[in-house]
Amino acid sequence: MTKLVMTRRLASFALLAPPLFVSIIFFIVPLGLLFWVSIHGSSSSELYSDQITAENYIAIISDSFYLTIVQRTLGAGATILALCLVFGYATAYVLAPLSPRARLWLLLLLSLPLLVSNVVRAYGWLTLLGRQGLVNVVLQKAGAIDAPLVMLNTFQAVAFALMTIMLPYMVISICNALATIDSYYREAAQSLRANPFQTFVHVTWPLSSPGVASGMLLVFLMSLSAYVAIVLLGGPRMKLLVSLIFDSAATFRWPLAAAMSFVLLAIALVVCALILMVLRPQRVQGRG
Amino acid sequence: MINQSNRPDVRFENVRKTYGKATAVRDLSLSIPQGSFFSLLGPSGCGKTTTLRLIAGFEVPDSGDVFIRDQRVTDVAPYKRDFAMVFQNFALFPHLNVAENVAFGLRMSGVPKAERAAAVAAALDLVKLGNFADRYPKQLSGGQQQRVAIARAIVMKPAVLLLDEPLGALDKNLRESMQVELRSLQRKLGITTVFVTHDQEEALTMSDQIAVMRDGVVEQLGAPREIYERPATEFVATFLGASNLIDVVAVAAEADQTLVEAPCGRFTIPGRHGPGTRLRVSIRPERVALAKAEANAAIPATVRDVVYRGMTAHITLDANGLPLMAFVQNSAEAAIDWQPGEAASIAFPTGSLGVLAQGQA
Repeated sequence: MTKLVMTRRLASFALLAPPLFVSIIFFIVPLGLLFWVSIHGSSSSELYSDQITAENYIAIISDSFYLTIVQRTLGAGATILALCLVFGYATAYVLAPLSPRARLWLLLLLSLPLLVSNVVRAYGWLTLLGRQGLVNVVLQKAGAIDAPLVMLNTFQAVAFALMTIMLPYMVISICNALATIDSYYREAAQSLRANPFQTFVHVTWPLSSPGVASGMLLVFLMSLSAYVAIVLLGGPRMKLLVSLIFDSAATFRWPLAAAMSFVLLAIALVVCALILMVLRPQRVQGRG
Repeated sequence: MINQSNRPDVRFENVRKTYGKATAVRDLSLSIPQGSFFSLLGPSGCGKTTTLRLIAGFEVPDSGDVFIRDQRVTDVAPYKRDFAMVFQNFALFPHLNVAENVAFGLRMSGVPKAERAAAVAAALDLVKLGNFADRYPKQLSGGQQQRVAIARAIVMKPAVLLLDEPLGALDKNLRESMQVELRSLQRKLGITTVFVTHDQEEALTMSDQIAVMRDGVVEQLGAPREIYERPATEFVATFLGASNLIDVVAVAAEADQTLVEAPCGRFTIPGRHGPGTRLRVSIRPERVALAKAEANAAIPATVRDVVYRGMTAHITLDANGLPLMAFVQNSAEAAIDWQPGEAASIAFPTGSLGVLAQGQA
């Protein structure tokens, strides 16, 4: 190694050191502590008992109550992901060819709802979807329905509400990817007999995959950790992992809450890996 | 020219294309003969690229018609047209390797896999990239990417091959060797080729026919030699290399020649022109015959400046107030020994003079 290379490596390490330090102190260490808590029994007086055990994890895997909730959490994540992908891609596809200026304004407009806090937005949905909410009142007045529709405290309400929050992130992410695809590629595809559908499948979609992947990761991770909308619109029975973690912690079962956090983390990691494996965004860089 | 018949592979009939107020192509009528290497030459904004894109269908004409092999394609979508194209920046798909890039068109048109593989291998061999099938575009040099782009186009066996300044992105040495290679490949395959370039030397080197374009109009169409030696307009005369432009008045016509009068003296130009007609003629500097001063020279001149360039010398002359440029060869018979201030005698060989179209001055 030459002296210059050494100096360069030192310099890049020096630049890396502060964020590395912050992430070790405030992320890696707490995560280790959390894991430590998760492998202990619960205690009524302490944070956890002295006894090391896998019982928390075994409980989550073997108890059908927890399994249902894990399943539901995955289902909700997948539903939101699918909805965001379809609507997000379609919106981005329309926005991408516009002038940068028009695109910027429309994306800002799309992100406007994000300026309202999650709590306020969830209450907004309550006033719309409730038994005496706007939707039911209008439908009843119009004679379309006899009895009010049950829309709150359902899976659909939660999924729909979360989708509306996540959609802008997906659109922005995909839109940027689409807008940077050189129009030459699409023309090259057409010059090689690809019809519009083939051009999309074989050229536009793969070239936009980095944007799709980052959008999907963002949306999935955010939907896993969403809390307010789930509690307010899902009610006491539509529980997801996050609400269960909160409940356990609130009833001082810290080790169980910690173990569930790790299950959630595992789900997140597995799904992220799956998304990256299927979309292979790195292929755009021409490395297989 | 191999395989060339009179049947045109591409035809334009009164094609007009405007962008807002700007006219890119105006009332263009053009026939590109089968098997020929046809160049669209002109400065940027002359409409040459638009013309190419009209053949591809990436642009649709405002009026007029485009034909490929006698089929009217004016409103046919690009992917249904029988052409292939090499783009200026090659436009190789970054997510596909070399073989997949070359196979792309065959795959889209539903050619079976086995047949595809054979055709791809043959095309890659043709451009000498047989060992690069598994590489990705990013792992290739500019010249190799260029070859992949050519292989990807010719594997389709299209009626017309469109080349949009494909050599512009390469450095000078590579460009010159690619010119030769591309031309010999084109001859070997006998594929009708339309080549867009702003480089006059490139157009002269490669083409069977050149259309010199300016402001959306073809100023002159012809073989490289014709275009260079007998430019029809002042624009063509000056765009393709240096030219001496001389204003003359016809004195007397005889057979198919005309004696004309210019400030520098009298000489003969080709063609019959009535006495008194005002004309502008052009002559290439290398065609000006320069000799040591003679007593009764038709056109006497004074050497103003000599620029020695090794193989040639560029000599600036003054012929009775008319500035002229002459290029002389450095050869065994006549070494360059001109000095500024020296008196000289010049002549314009009749066959080397071109009469420029009126109204172009």
